[in-house]
Amino acid sequence: MAATVDAYPLKQFFIEMFTRDIALEDCILDLVDNSMDALLRIRQIDIENEILAFGTGGPVARRPRAHIRLDYSDKHFQIVDNCGGIRYEDAAHEVFCFGHHADAPKGRLGVYGIGLKRAIFKIGNRIEVESHTEDGGFKVEINVNEWAAQDRDLRDWTFPVKKVDGNVGRKPAGTTITITELHREVKSRLNDGTLDSALRKTVAQTYPFFLGHLVDLKINRIPVEKRELPFGGSDEIEAGLSKFEEEGVKVSLLASIAPKDKRTQELAGWYVLCNGRVVVTADKSDLTGWGAGLPAFHSKYRAFVGLALFTSENPALLPWTTSKRGLNREALVFQLARNRMTSAAKPVITFLNDMYPSEMPEHPPERAIAERVVQQDFRSVLQKAPTQFRQVAGTTVRKKTARVQYDAKLTDLERIRKRLRRPGLSASEIGRITFDHYLKTECPE
Amino acid sequence: MSTPTRSYLKVSYDLRPAKQVERRMLMDAFQRLTHAGFKIADYQYTGFGSVYFVDFIIFHKLLGINKLLSVEHDVQIEKRVRFNKPFKEIELRIAPVGDIIPALSQDVRHILWLDYDDLIRREHLDDILQAAINLSAGSILLVTVDVEPPAGDGPAEWRGHYEAEADDYLGNKRRLSDYAESRLPALNGHIIGEVIKHGLTGREARFSLLFNFLYKDGHRMLTVGGMIGTDAEQRMIRASTLDAAPYYRSDLKKPAYEIVVPRLTRKERLDLDCAMPCGNAWSPREFELSHGEVLAYREIYRFFPAYAELLL
Repeated sequence: MAATVDAYPLKQFFIEMFTRDIALEDCILDLVDNSMDALLRIRQIDIENEILAFGTGGPVARRPRAHIRLDYSDKHFQIVDNCGGIRYEDAAHEVFCFGHHADAPKGRLGVYGIGLKRAIFKIGNRIEVESHTEDGGFKVEINVNEWAAQDRDLRDWTFPVKKVDGNVGRKPAGTTITITELHREVKSRLNDGTLDSALRKTVAQTYPFFLGHLVDLKINRIPVEKRELPFGGSDEIEAGLSKFEEEGVKVSLLASIAPKDKRTQELAGWYVLCNGRVVVTADKSDLTGWGAGLPAFHSKYRAFVGLALFTSENPALLPWTTSKRGLNREALVFQLARNRMTSAAKPVITFLNDMYPSEMPEHPPERAIAERVVQQDFRSVLQKAPTQFRQVAGTTVRKKTARVQYDAKLTDLERIRKRLRRPGLSASEIGRITFDHYLKTECPE
Repeated sequence: MSTPTRSYLKVSYDLRPAKQVERRMLMDAFQRLTHAGFKIADYQYTGFGSVYFVDFIIFHKLLGINKLLSVEHDVQIEKRVRFNKPFKEIELRIAPVGDIIPALSQDVRHILWLDYDDLIRREHLDDILQAAINLSAGSILLVTVDVEPPAGDGPAEWRGHYEAEADDYLGNKRRLSDYAESRLPALNGHIIGEVIKHGLTGREARFSLLFNFLYKDGHRMLTVGGMIGTDAEQRMIRASTLDAAPYYRSDLKKPAYEIVVPRLTRKERLDLDCAMPCGNAWSPREFELSHGEVLAYREIYRFFPAYAELLL
């Protein structure tokens, strides 16, 4: 037999190393993803048709909405859902593995099979996972330090599991994860008064199509309010839409301007969604083509909003990173999409440039059109045929007036005031009177 | 320095004979592509017609192209442009070309000529990028830019222009010697090639260079052109007679084809034409002409326009 070298994994590596590259908030979102995935699976919800409403009349409301509760203090962290639970068989052979088996049933938001483990290792030392489906369930208790101490060979890579009863007739099926003996740095962050707001904002930004539609989510008993993506429309503009499919991933790119109250530097840019989950928010960097195919972002583009929707039956084909907080630039589908995002954005950029012309002092019509843009559900745009962003024909009414401005000597203005015996006349009123006078006396119709 | 003789020999810039030779060589190439199976007459031509529409007249009359789109950015001359439109078929769009390109039909093949008359700028590169991203397979992209040195005194300052406008595409062109006046055409060719490659990222299609013209009517100009195509189109190009044409270029690293137009009188041209195509050693008996000029004329005489005053 040929000699071999050892290449097996060490527990300490997984516990210490792979929790470093991810923020606490993103770990928590990974747990939320798992809850959402359970719900999508149990209720057999089709993201493309029911949530993003590709080629259908609109999103389908499923009642009752499920609940996810996040609670934390400096002693514990807990996530409780009633999203359907995990079967004992799946827990025994799939859920706690590091990575997915090739033939394992795939979720739509969970990709790599590391989210749960990474989150619990990141947060604390004692973990209790209890789950009940309609007809059965399990309970797993882990003491990470004790588990890590036993690492002789791969047979030590197990967690003890207890079978528990199903939930029929009692409270709805779901999963509860409780973490105690929190790590010091996590405790410190959980105690930080800004974490609650940051977490609320992140959750609201990440799940605009799930919150209030499929699930209600509470953090420390206070509901997270849903946040709509700042996508605008009106009768006078048509949002840009282009679609393509590459290597099992469907891509829809939308470009428009934001409604008036959402035109801020913070909200402007590209939003990238993978299977309906927001992965990149308001990006204004070269990741989405700014300064590379598009001009560098400038405050005059703060009305720009672009949405890039990637969907796939197989989430591993989507261009997200393992933290789901960024994009894998090497993904072929993203390379292709990035270039096409610049194509979709260009007419919007031209429109916004025209809103702030360098030479014309009067108000360009684009500004009036932009004034009338209101919040629009982008899913109604997805139903339409692909097009470029444009002003709808017939609405480009050029203004029929122009502003007249010139300097006049104060002494001359005073002479006119005297002549008219109206000492309080403003300069602009004098301008109007003298203009009208000339028109009446010299240019009779 | 300009001597009286030189001034006398100077051809009016408006006539631009070298540009005309370029246009005719392009026509020749498109005819060769037609013979190779590309239905050039069904292509759409998109260009900057301005108020003269010279390219549009040639593309329509000589190639039979009926889908014609002229793009004009200057809103101020819209009426003048419309007035000068020579054919009903020409559609006119007043918008930045970078906005128009993504909307070009995917169901049609295109000839798109981004015929700029100034130095390469970021806006031009963004247009070229859009062309590479969006043009359907089998389409032809032509890009013309001015390759005179930018403002400034010498290569160090010229490099500043290119770094400001095209830094992402300079690649390893960082040495001062890359910015020598004689190297600017190659540098511009490199930049255009890189932009096209970037635009084709993720696409199955690749860019097959066909043209790399360098000419000078007043300013030195460079035209880089080729086909965005898949393996199928590349096979068709290889099967064409293009590689027999003296102007054909397939590698941007090789020198551009320089269009040299000897200054000749009408009488001299008639005499030369009788001997064309001449042997390598041939020279006219009746008047002095350098060997280089004879060979230059032999290459372009088929494409060289005759100018005469026409009293209308």
